[in-house]
Amino acid sequence: MRKLSDGQFAWLLMAPGVALFLAIIAYPLLSALVTGFFEQSLVRPGREFVGLANYADLLGGDFWPVLRNTLVFTLGATVIPFVLGYALALALNAGLPGFLRGLFLFPWVIPGVVVSFLWLWIFNANYGVLNGVLGTQISWLGQPGTAMAAVIITKTWASFPWMMVMLLAGLQTMPKELHEAAAVDGAGAIRRFRSVTVPHMKGIAAIVFLLEFIWNFQHFDTIYVLTGGGPAGATKTFAVAVYDTAFKGFDLGHATALGGLWMLLLLVLMVFYLRKEAK
Amino acid sequence: MNTLNRRDALRLLGLSTLGVAALAACAPDASGGGAPQGDTAAKTFGFTSWSLNEEAQKAAVQAIVDDYAKKNGVTITPTSFPYNEYLNQVTLKLRGNQLTGAIQLDVAWLGAMAAMGKLRDLGPVAGKGGYTDVALASGQVGGKQLGLPWTTGSIGLIANTELLEKAGVDGMPATVEEFEAALRKIAKLDGVVPYAAATKAAQLKDILPWMRTFGSPLLDGEEITVGDEPSVAAVEWYKKLFDAKLIAPDVDRFDARALFAQGKAAFYDDAIIARGVVESQAPDKTLTTKMAPLARPVLKAGDTPQALLWGHVIAVVEGEGADAAAEFASFATSDTATVASFFEKVKLPPTTTAGLADPKVAGDTFTTEWTEKITKTASANPFWRYAGYAQIETAIAEQVQAVLVGDASAKDALAKAAETAKGLQK
Repeated sequence: MRKLSDGQFAWLLMAPGVALFLAIIAYPLLSALVTGFFEQSLVRPGREFVGLANYADLLGGDFWPVLRNTLVFTLGATVIPFVLGYALALALNAGLPGFLRGLFLFPWVIPGVVVSFLWLWIFNANYGVLNGVLGTQISWLGQPGTAMAAVIITKTWASFPWMMVMLLAGLQTMPKELHEAAAVDGAGAIRRFRSVTVPHMKGIAAIVFLLEFIWNFQHFDTIYVLTGGGPAGATKTFAVAVYDTAFKGFDLGHATALGGLWMLLLLVLMVFYLRKEAK
Repeated sequence: MNTLNRRDALRLLGLSTLGVAALAACAPDASGGGAPQGDTAAKTFGFTSWSLNEEAQKAAVQAIVDDYAKKNGVTITPTSFPYNEYLNQVTLKLRGNQLTGAIQLDVAWLGAMAAMGKLRDLGPVAGKGGYTDVALASGQVGGKQLGLPWTTGSIGLIANTELLEKAGVDGMPATVEEFEAALRKIAKLDGVVPYAAATKAAQLKDILPWMRTFGSPLLDGEEITVGDEPSVAAVEWYKKLFDAKLIAPDVDRFDARALFAQGKAAFYDDAIIARGVVESQAPDKTLTTKMAPLARPVLKAGDTPQALLWGHVIAVVEGEGADAAAEFASFATSDTATVASFFEKVKLPPTTTAGLADPKVAGDTFTTEWTEKITKTASANPFWRYAGYAQIETAIAEQVQAVLVGDASAKDALAKAAETAKGLQK
């Protein structure tokens, strides 16, 4: 019997995992990428090779507004909860009552679709709570500007607790002596935040921000429930556009081509994340 | 622990590769093709239906299934998905050859399902069913009878007569001008939306009958006429109602039903099932007695009122159990006692002459009024013949919404919608 080397043994252990990866991730992914080069319908049998025509169609039209919407949503739904989460984490770390941590986590434990329906009723133009409270008759979800803001607010409500908890965990690893030493040296609260807290938190804050950015770049449920990508396509992001093209338009060719472009952009973000993680 | 030899290692790797190959082989054919398989004479078949997922209809449909299975010694395996997910699920399963037997379909979906080439032509079965011509037509695609009509109705206008009286509207408006005048009177009532018309993209296809009302055929032969003068005029009129707050923003069918059920909308568009829906939602239990179907107002006296044909059919997937499934479909849709009993329970009108003449159906005033005023002149959406009909409707709806929110003029928006729609006529 010939013994296996450590490398061979490692490969052997990985084989089932690799097989599963190939079967349920790599194969469908490659199959989808290949489909992007065909005119293929979900309902009509057969397909026709069209080369880069699907990509050309998209880059000549739908891709750019969808990219803009995705970036607006992603930036808004990342920056706002990040700032809010950071502020609350600082407040909790500075001595805000502990039970508030549990209270603030509440929106995060509610399923995303439930949160979306909740806000759908809040924003409803005809019988929504918001208009009732403000005494207005604004169509929050029916106008391009307010619809995107409404979607971002909803996503902010759902995701700031996670950021708060992660950042609070980071703050709690910070040695108190650093702050005490800075205070003895005469640094005020703002200076201590700038010169002690921010440098200490840089790593974790960057990871939290980047992860949330990547997730928001792929986000679907809040947008789909609240606006379905409307009004007039004003909140149509990549996730909604791919879904609509594939399952409403039955156009697998364009849907997978759009998915391919979307994935390329996500890969760029992934590179940033992995580089940050490696540091 | 690390004493496995190279041969064993290669075996394991080989098995892993075989596993991948097997999984890949189980995956649906990428092109969606594949001939139907299985014994067509088998006595076991499936029945896929969204009604089995809906509380209001579940028991009535299950009773039909159980009754038929008992009488005919067959085994029927029911499957259901929620209506909003139904088309996707059925499409994916049919594409992967994972669906057999009978399937309930909305008439709007039949064209897309037909494109997959897996449905049986039920012409011979339909011939002995006694269906009305309108109903039969709702199940036909490309000259083939791909669905047996289960219920045929229409989507039309419903009014709250109490609100009309309060606003001083005498009689039902018959022309667009009278309709607009009525809406302006109703607008003076506090907290009432005069017309809960669709303004969300998901339901803005409701504007298509209004485009027809203004004289656009929507489709002339194979040429899309959306963007012609009448359709532009219809959208401009809709925008005028929107700006004057005679129709409300942010409304789809569910919102419209909720507003109407609360007595906060005077008119809205719905199918005949509206009565049951409103009955279950309305705090005022007498509201259903104040509901009245009306013919869609016409542009000028003498025009034909427009309404959208609507209904369900039962189709049969070619392959395993198809013969028995076709017989079941025929029984469920044309056996007079069965369809009359089904109507009694769920108020969906039957599709056969005998069924419509049954006292249980003929004696129902709301249904007969609906049939006379709305269904009588209803016609199918001409885009349903295309597999990409939903995307065509979406393209139009999104552009109409762009007009409503002030992003585009009706002329530019509809020209853009027509351009997009032309690429989807496949």
